[in-house]
Amino acid sequence: MSDADFDVQYIERDDRSARVLIRGLTPAFANGIRRAMIADVPTFSIDTVRFVENSSVMFDEMIGLRLGLVPLTTPLDEFEVGDEVTLALDVEGPATAYSGDIETSEPMVEPADDNVPIIELKEGQRIELEADAVLDTGKEHAKHQGGVSVGYRHLQHVTVDGDRGEFDEDETNVLRGVIETEDGDIVPTAAFDHDLSEKYPGKELTVEDVPGAFVFHIETDGSLSVEELLLRAIDTIEERADELHTKVSV
Amino acid sequence: MSYKCSRCKRDVTLDEYGGVRCPYCGHRVLLKERGGDVKEVDVN
Repeated sequence: MSDADFDVQYIERDDRSARVLIRGLTPAFANGIRRAMIADVPTFSIDTVRFVENSSVMFDEMIGLRLGLVPLTTPLDEFEVGDEVTLALDVEGPATAYSGDIETSEPMVEPADDNVPIIELKEGQRIELEADAVLDTGKEHAKHQGGVSVGYRHLQHVTVDGDRGEFDEDETNVLRGVIETEDGDIVPTAAFDHDLSEKYPGKELTVEDVPGAFVFHIETDGSLSVEELLLRAIDTIEERADELHTKVSV
Repeated sequence: MSYKCSRCKRDVTLDEYGGVRCPYCGHRVLLKERGGDVKEVDVN
């Protein structure tokens, strides 16, 4: 087994976004996890649309593209890549068709948000359609990406070297991300307006990357929770490693 | 092929010899109606 000594700490945590500090990663592994979250975790997305009626002012194809970008909840334990779920939409003007108007044949797969506008319909206009959502990965099409804003930065260690000279100007010292203080406290830079001179006024500072410590910022489109996205991304790396292991040993 | 006259809103069928003209009001602007078929669109 590996002797990596991982340590995971949530700095901020919401349903759809989180900041996680992971220690014990190499830069290559951190980037692998980031890429897996973007491209390898499958989510449901509308892939074919059958238009029964569309008297709106937009072409069928344009409405299709909009529908494809509506995030759908994805219970990954229940479905496999390639599975399909049928959805339907029937709205008559004057009204705006929202993602919340989409009806589903499978209650586990439904729009993650109810307030995504699809098309505004005037008096006498109507849209009626049936759509098939397919489970696939972001590698196939960006509409299947579960992680929408995934990135990481090194954790920054801030050391106070001493007082600044009496006549030195107190300049702004902008830093974005998360810092580790000398006492070992983990502080997001937003807490002091991303300006180190606010937190340490009149001090001479040294800022360095903490080796192997990465702060991930993870945001999902609502199809998965942040934790599920991270776990599934790690699973896909494991699956690929297993597959390679099998191929090599044969 | 079915069309609709843009002035009198009546349904118009074009024949080979009549030219593009509404037989009821003589208007020359006709709008093509959407067919009743279900149209399948691939989203990609």
